[in-house]
Amino acid sequence: MNPRLWKERATILILYGLTGCGCLVLAVILTTVIMKGAPALSGEFLFEESRNFGSEGGIFYQMIGTLILMAGAAIVCLPVALGSVLFQTEFLHSPPLKKMFRFLIYSLNAVPTIIFGLIGYLFFGVLLDAGVSWVTGVLILAVMILPTLHVSIHEAVESIPDHYREAGLALGLSPGQQMRAVILPQSMYGMVTGTLLGLARAAGETAAIMFTATAFSGVQLPQSWTEPVTTLQTHILVLAQEATNPKALTHAWGAGLVLLTLVFILISVTLWIRSGMEMEAER
Amino acid sequence: MNKQPLFPERGPAFWLTGLAAAISAGTIGLLFVSLVVESVPVFKSEGVSFLWGTDWFAGEVYGALPMIYGSLMVTGLAVVMVLPFALGSAILTSEFLSGRVRLVVKAAMELLAGVPGILYGLMGIALLAVWVRDLFGLIDGNTLFTAGLLLAVMILPTVMTLAEDALRAVPGETRDTALSLGLTRMETVMQVVVPQALPGLAGAVFLGLGRAMGETIAVMLVIGGIDRIPQPWFDLFASGQNIPSKIGREAAEALGFDLQWSALIALGLVLFVMVMTLTTAGHFLLRKAR
Repeated sequence: MNPRLWKERATILILYGLTGCGCLVLAVILTTVIMKGAPALSGEFLFEESRNFGSEGGIFYQMIGTLILMAGAAIVCLPVALGSVLFQTEFLHSPPLKKMFRFLIYSLNAVPTIIFGLIGYLFFGVLLDAGVSWVTGVLILAVMILPTLHVSIHEAVESIPDHYREAGLALGLSPGQQMRAVILPQSMYGMVTGTLLGLARAAGETAAIMFTATAFSGVQLPQSWTEPVTTLQTHILVLAQEATNPKALTHAWGAGLVLLTLVFILISVTLWIRSGMEMEAER
Repeated sequence: MNKQPLFPERGPAFWLTGLAAAISAGTIGLLFVSLVVESVPVFKSEGVSFLWGTDWFAGEVYGALPMIYGSLMVTGLAVVMVLPFALGSAILTSEFLSGRVRLVVKAAMELLAGVPGILYGLMGIALLAVWVRDLFGLIDGNTLFTAGLLLAVMILPTVMTLAEDALRAVPGETRDTALSLGLTRMETVMQVVVPQALPGLAGAVFLGLGRAMGETIAVMLVIGGIDRIPQPWFDLFASGQNIPSKIGREAAEALGFDLQWSALIALGLVLFVMVMTLTTAGHFLLRKAR
């Protein structure tokens, strides 16, 4: 037998082994969350407030809190991200400035999330006097997801074919009209996918909001600007540390399953939209 | 050719988008500046011993070495553990799987990269720490090793997809040439494709490392939270502390203006410098690979 052939087969076998191990670990993770979380799910669990420090009742206000923070962050972030992308692509013509802007966005993406919590609290909590509140959390998360939205929108705007722009210019459109008539409609999918990914990122974030925006128990809907909310992420965090109490732990897995479902839905829709776009481009 | 003016027309669209751009650039700038400014007090009072000191008692002395050590150790451990699996599956996916399967794998990896850190934390504290404790006969399963293992699992999808992209970026003609010279598919991959994709692969690993180093919540739950360097220093089965976990544990009690807060921000600055070095290196290598 040819020794080269054997070596070839052995290496491929090793590759399959390594890949299999990796997939197995990830599959185990998903099934664990589903298996452990599913028994906790019920109508009561989803629609009642939590009682007795999370070991009884449900996670209704935790879900609302997560939704408030992530939706708020996206609403604050989207106009800023969109505006700065358009400024960068339509008005900024100097390459060094463009480069610097890109560098700023990339370095923001590299910032560990806990630092957003620290510095964000300093500005929004102390200087804006919002304290530990949902407003602080929304603003911190809005800054955190800025790179996600920015990069996504930027890619969409950059990929608009030149002749679309040229057609607009030939009709004598001003930059403002050009944006409204050509660039915004053509880059809409970038806005949508960017926002969805940003929402997913904000929903999955714990470190930046755990000491700046949330409280554990006794919180319902915020009644004013300066009240904290309670979220799925921080609820799991507190319950996870009570690993000795099986009831609390079951609720933690249940909340985890709900959170995972939310994040997966957001990312799946993004992937679905993107694959549709790719197929259109290949036509 | 005419030199274009810096800003051709200044209608309302210009001012509106300009305002947004100013807000985002200003926020980012302010973030970096205040990260430096706010950490000045602790450097003033502790000097460089902030970086070398091994004791941290809030209100008395602030030494960050155990946390820096913990961060480096946990991240190093994670990369050693993730490397064979991430690279192996990247090579298999990029070179040996059909296009359709490849797309499915990529989509799955992107989904998995989005799993919230808190879920890894929950898994770590409820399952992994217990397994590590029983498997190695420890008193406490919350160790540097546990944290490293958890991080390795967390960054696997990220490193794998980026590495796979790097391999795909090697042009197909290269493969065809190697194959036409009589190399087997595996030899083509190992001797031609991988060496060419090396900068990109390294970039993928660096970006994964940056993510691992900055991850807070999962690590915080399983690292043990003890601010010391284990004796001997390479004892991975001891509890430790890394920078994000330290910040996460103390931030709630230090909320405010005193020296402890400044010390935490200085820790954040150290962390930021380390992560930034890794990700900048990663981006540089990835760009070089294209």
